[in-house]
Amino acid sequence: MISQLRSRWQQWVHRRIPRSDNQLLNQKNVFILPTGAGVVFGILLMVMLITGINYQNSLIYLITFLLGAVFVGAMHQTHRNLSGLELTLLQPGEGVAGEDIPFRFRATAGPNDAVAVRLSVDDSVLAPIHISAGQATDVVIPVPSAYRGYLRPDRIRIETRFPFGLLKAWSWMRPASAGIAFPRPLAAPDVLSSVPDGSDADNVRSVEGNDHADLRPWREGDMSQRVMWKRYARSGQMVVADWEGEQGSPHWLDFDAFPGTDHEMRLGYLAYLVGEREKRGGRYGLNLPGRAIDPDSGASHAQRCMRALAVWGEEPPRETLPEPHGTRSDQDLTHPMDSQSA
Amino acid sequence: MSLLSRIMGDSPSDTASVAAIPSRALAWLVASFALLLIPQWDRLPIWLLAACGVLAGWRWLAQYGRVRLPGRLLRTAIMLLLISVYVATVSGRFTVDTAASFFVLAVGLKWLETRSSRDFYVLLFIVIYLATVNFLFRQEILWTLVNLAGVACLLVGLQVLNAPDLPANMRSGWKRLGLLLLKTLPIVILLFLFFPRIAPLWSVPLVSGQARTGISDSMRPGDISNLAQSSERAFRVTFGGELPAYRDRYWRGLVLDYLDSETWKQSGFESYRPPGKVDLDGGIGDLGAREYDVLMEPTDQRWAFGLENSRAVSGNVIEQDDDLFRFRRPADTAVRYRLAREEVSQGSPADELSALETRRYLQLPVSGNPRARQLGRSLKEQNDAEGVIRAMLSRFRDQEYFYTLRPPAMAENGIDTLLFDEKKGFCAHYAGATTFVLRAAGIPSRIVAGYQGGEPGAGGEYLIVRQYDAHAWVEAWIEGRGWVRIDPTAAIAPQRIESGLREAVANEGSFLEEDWASPQRYGDVRLIQWASLQLDRMNYQWQRWVVGYQGQSQMDLMSRLPGRFGMKELGYLTAAVVGGGLLLAGLVSAWQMRRGVRYDAFRKTVEGWHMLCVGNGVPVRSGETPSVLAERFAEARPAAADSARRFARMVNSHYYSASPSKTAAADLKRLRRLLATMKKQLRRSQQKNRKTGTRS
Repeated sequence: MISQLRSRWQQWVHRRIPRSDNQLLNQKNVFILPTGAGVVFGILLMVMLITGINYQNSLIYLITFLLGAVFVGAMHQTHRNLSGLELTLLQPGEGVAGEDIPFRFRATAGPNDAVAVRLSVDDSVLAPIHISAGQATDVVIPVPSAYRGYLRPDRIRIETRFPFGLLKAWSWMRPASAGIAFPRPLAAPDVLSSVPDGSDADNVRSVEGNDHADLRPWREGDMSQRVMWKRYARSGQMVVADWEGEQGSPHWLDFDAFPGTDHEMRLGYLAYLVGEREKRGGRYGLNLPGRAIDPDSGASHAQRCMRALAVWGEEPPRETLPEPHGTRSDQDLTHPMDSQSA
Repeated sequence: MSLLSRIMGDSPSDTASVAAIPSRALAWLVASFALLLIPQWDRLPIWLLAACGVLAGWRWLAQYGRVRLPGRLLRTAIMLLLISVYVATVSGRFTVDTAASFFVLAVGLKWLETRSSRDFYVLLFIVIYLATVNFLFRQEILWTLVNLAGVACLLVGLQVLNAPDLPANMRSGWKRLGLLLLKTLPIVILLFLFFPRIAPLWSVPLVSGQARTGISDSMRPGDISNLAQSSERAFRVTFGGELPAYRDRYWRGLVLDYLDSETWKQSGFESYRPPGKVDLDGGIGDLGAREYDVLMEPTDQRWAFGLENSRAVSGNVIEQDDDLFRFRRPADTAVRYRLAREEVSQGSPADELSALETRRYLQLPVSGNPRARQLGRSLKEQNDAEGVIRAMLSRFRDQEYFYTLRPPAMAENGIDTLLFDEKKGFCAHYAGATTFVLRAAGIPSRIVAGYQGGEPGAGGEYLIVRQYDAHAWVEAWIEGRGWVRIDPTAAIAPQRIESGLREAVANEGSFLEEDWASPQRYGDVRLIQWASLQLDRMNYQWQRWVVGYQGQSQMDLMSRLPGRFGMKELGYLTAAVVGGGLLLAGLVSAWQMRRGVRYDAFRKTVEGWHMLCVGNGVPVRSGETPSVLAERFAEARPAAADSARRFARMVNSHYYSASPSKTAAADLKRLRRLLATMKKQLRRSQQKNRKTGTRS
């Protein structure tokens, strides 16, 4: 019953606050309720009123009404604190899965001062920020991540309790853009020099020569080295040779180099190896099913590789399917060939 | 970027709920507590005030790390100690005072536990209620201001608690609070006027265990001279017609008719009446020519004071035998009631005293004061009743009797000593002695205790009767005339009756000699006198119009409004006021919001572009970046493609650049120009299309 209500409420909120990288807070999307202290304050006012009635004391009536008015005024004030505030996602963050990944936002105050505004994602709460009317400030929110893949916080909560803490006004921002969580590096077993003999030893072909090549037409993503340029010069067709022997090449970090291990573990190994290679400064390429990155070196190359590892087999999050961030939805990982191969 | 680093450096967890209390917030809380203790200073035991000071000071020092807050063991020990001291001093009496001091004790102990903002709120609520309790005891305008100031300190402290690191330019907690109060003030006033003043839900007498200064129901010879040392106000009177002359201002309160060796008491028990609701304000409507309103300070007693030959007008006093007035409940707060003076019915034969009454008014102790008894007997032999009285008064007038605030000790046979040896006494002495002699002479007589006099307040609108106006005089029963007032003091010291105690003891210099802080003591200093009277007038109006605004006065006000207002209508009116106020607040904030959107010219320009897009068949999707929208727009309307792309780039750079505010104005100008260009281009292309269309 309660969970049903909660999900109805969630749906309502989601309809009210569509995903967007830019959110202007106004009457439509700012919610306001008394805090626990506010409820106790209300009870206190009732007790004071009863005291006033019983002792026929006008001044107690007066102070009760004054404090009641303060409460109502605080409602107004707390609401105004948020309304007009604009939150823009500047840069979704990148980082290693399991760590907090920084997302950069810009908060711009409207016609009112935005005082003591707390931004939070799940349990991670920032220190309150104060923005004078019309000013802007940049904020970095660490978004906790659990798994590799696209990381999109479902909701960023924007809350204020100023001035008296008796009421809280809050809203959510639901960013449309997603950050990326890289796979957590796992120290890889030393497999690069030799082909491991695993359970699928039957599939392992001889590595002596280049005689065992599959020829197939070029498709996007194939590395230029593999194109048989001689044949291209002759016939104009781009044909690619899949040399079995390449699989063990130290220049290539290969998804298939760890037979028998889980996909996620392989990605972890590869992430580790990318890091290692990057440190050593050599040229290396990355070969994933459905995606290959030509050998290269340098930081941006490493970043490209890491991104490829992170999103391998993942669908970019879409607006219509809100999913809990940090977790991957139950996609069928046994068919990792995604849109890129189609 | 210090902000960024600070945010990053912070551990993001649990800063919200259990943050330590910022020092400035604590300072406000301590200040408020101190302010709110001031109105209680004379009701609380000294040790409690000291303990509160020490405990709050401890908490304050702990804030700066000078000392540590006590651990649980020590805390429990302190708590037990203080509570046992409390129990020992209270010793089983339960009064409003003990309840109030327990309340203060609880606040004091809570200081040692105030660690988190949660505790801050607990203390806050208790302290707010402390302010409420203060209003039960003190309602003068200055005390009201002290109380409100204490609550205001709390509200400022709350702001600090909720935003401790607010930059200096945004702080202005007082200003924010002031504006907030200013905005809501009309609603407070309307609520105060229209909120129905319903009868008490249950009756809780506010009887305090503390003795109040004032007349009591038993009188020993020295009692009233103690009262004469106090300049506290007893009551204030407004007359509808002429003020009675000073010498006629006899305010009767009690009849003391039983002499128990030295002490005069009331003989009968006051007839029991179930405590009922007391209208605190009986002075409603215009005063008739013979009517007068008495605004009495709390006495915790049921006596009301009135002039001779009065009858009750307001319903909150009841007439009793002996021409006295009583409340239905002890007057634990200020009460206003209305009486009217009646024509003295000359010549109408007064009732006979019954045998029981005659015995009662002739009662004397079995023994003691033989010379006074002898004097009575000898006077009786020579005169009739009126002659005895005349002889007694002329004795006081002719012989060397002194009216003094410093009477000598008269232990054994006090009345004899006073009459024949010392001849120095105060009104209570002389009233007692006169009654004794009259009774010895067989004339039924009694002592009346009350006040005599009263000086006009500022503007002369009303009389102020103070405790030093307390007085005791004698009434004797004379066949055919009824009860006749006899005042021996008038014979000894006529100034006392003509112009007051100050004049009467001027030579002695004993007026208010123990009350050096009283402004009345410095009656000869004009400025002090003036200021004191002005303050009293302010308080009088305050008491009359604000504090005394209760059920009856509300009904009176409502009856002056058009339409017939009953309790039910008032309820509707209150609901309407609250609902209307909330609605108004909502409308105002909606209006401000609209203005706020207009305020952001940047957003307005972007919205203009969005409208242009929609008008040209390119729907705007939420969450879409400007450049994607520009691409789609460019596809649909190639004529404006370039400017649309440039526009999108500008929007991007505005929203995502490092320093948004620097180039904002220039950006805005360029954006507007681009938007105009786009529109021009679109128009031109449409014209071209039309032309080609017509040509083909």
